Amino acid sequence: MKTAQAIYEDGGHKWYAIVRDTSRPNYLVDTNEYLIVAGDDAILLDPGGSEVFPAVFSALSTAFDPRRVSKLFASHQDPDVISSLSMWLEFNPDIKCYLSWLWASFVPHFGGDGDTFVSIPDGGMDIIVGSQRLQAIPAHYLHSSGNFNIYDPKAKILFSGDVGAALLPPGEDGLFVENFDRHIRHAEGFHRRWMGSERAKRDWCARVSQLDIEMMCPQHGAIYRGEDVRRFIDWFAHLEVGALKS
Amino acid sequence: MKPGHGAGGELRRIVRINEEIKSVVATAFKINLMAMNAIFLAKRAGQNALGFGVLSNELRRFATDLQQQMTVLREMTYGSVAIVTGLLKQTQLNRVLERVRAEAVGEGRKLIDEFLLNHAEAMLRHQERIAALNRRLTQMIADTAQLVELGSVLARSAKIEAAYGGGFSSSLMQVSSDFEQTIGDIQHSLESLTKHQFQESTE
Ligand SMILES: [Fe+2]
Ligand SMILES: [Fe+2]
Repeated sequence: MKTAQAIYEDGGHKWYAIVRDTSRPNYLVDTNEYLIVAGDDAILLDPGGSEVFPAVFSALSTAFDPRRVSKLFASHQDPDVISSLSMWLEFNPDIKCYLSWLWASFVPHFGGDGDTFVSIPDGGMDIIVGSQRLQAIPAHYLHSSGNFNIYDPKAKILFSGDVGAALLPPGEDGLFVENFDRHIRHAEGFHRRWMGSERAKRDWCARVSQLDIEMMCPQHGAIYRGEDVRRFIDWFAHLEVGALKS
Repeated sequence: MKPGHGAGGELRRIVRINEEIKSVVATAFKINLMAMNAIFLAKRAGQNALGFGVLSNELRRFATDLQQQMTVLREMTYGSVAIVTGLLKQTQLNRVLERVRAEAVGEGRKLIDEFLLNHAEAMLRHQERIAALNRRLTQMIADTAQLVELGSVLARSAKIEAAYGGGFSSSLMQVSSDFEQTIGDIQHSLESLTKHQFQESTE
């Protein structure tokens, strides 16, 4: 089973990281899900694949009443991000899924109907959860052509989806990045191969550099804190991407 | 389980049970703290509160047992989530197969019919697993109710002992009333738990 760990807490405003599925078969890539709670309302970021639904659902239930999760956010269309959608809908048919307009007619192949999806325009939008205003920040082509991050200006946390992702070997899978240089080796191959556009990468680096970020939370791997956020953005800015090397 | 409401309803029922378990866990934690305070209080009251001290110790053990029982119950509900998810997937597959069947003709139709037959058996086995888990859950809830009954007896006895507490009598009385009330809360939660357990997965 996974565990839900609180990574930010200020009264009724909380962030939980749902991480490290010990029972996951190793043919599935490990994913992090994040739950943002604002009072009685909550949004689940990148809910995960249908295979990990029981682990995510059970871990989430330890921290929060899942009946009050009213929104899902899918950074992009990948199966490890949103193929559990149909299960969430069986549990709560009224749940809304925020997603790039680009995928609004593709993801319903996983489940849902015309009422399920809220399309996010390319420029991004605000998403209100309880009394908190979250921002969907464009991160297109990193790696998906319709891709968003979520920024919580009060918590100063950026959910970065596949950006910042690392495929960590067993034994080096702590929740937080402790040694940037050591950690980033596990992120390099992924970013070179999955990220397709230099220009999009530069845009993203410029955009998130404007934000005040204390924690950057990727969908795979460990969370960057404090100075490591800046280190990651610099590292990424200088990394060559979108080049298939033999 | 009624087929019309299916796995989604079953999942919602599990969540209702789990939320009730969470509230019992929180209360058991409270009782544990209260019992520790009561033990200290009994020590300060000395000779007059020997019986009260023994009962406080018992109440503390009761709280620990209850917490353990709840951990087992909780693990059982997580096990149910996995099984119900499996049923959910099969239900979804079934829907697709039924649609295929409606359009299939000739040899294809025959194959689908056969497939659906096997599939129905698999679904049945799944539902049996859920039923077995539910029986175990019911048994566990009944055991817990018995444990809580014991806690309630302990709290009542503490109240009687408090009367002999001399100068500490009124504060001991206060503590034992708090016990009684808190255990009453647990009994209430258990009643709702039992109600959810026997509820059909209809809303
Ligand atoms: Fe992806
Ligand atoms: Fe991913």
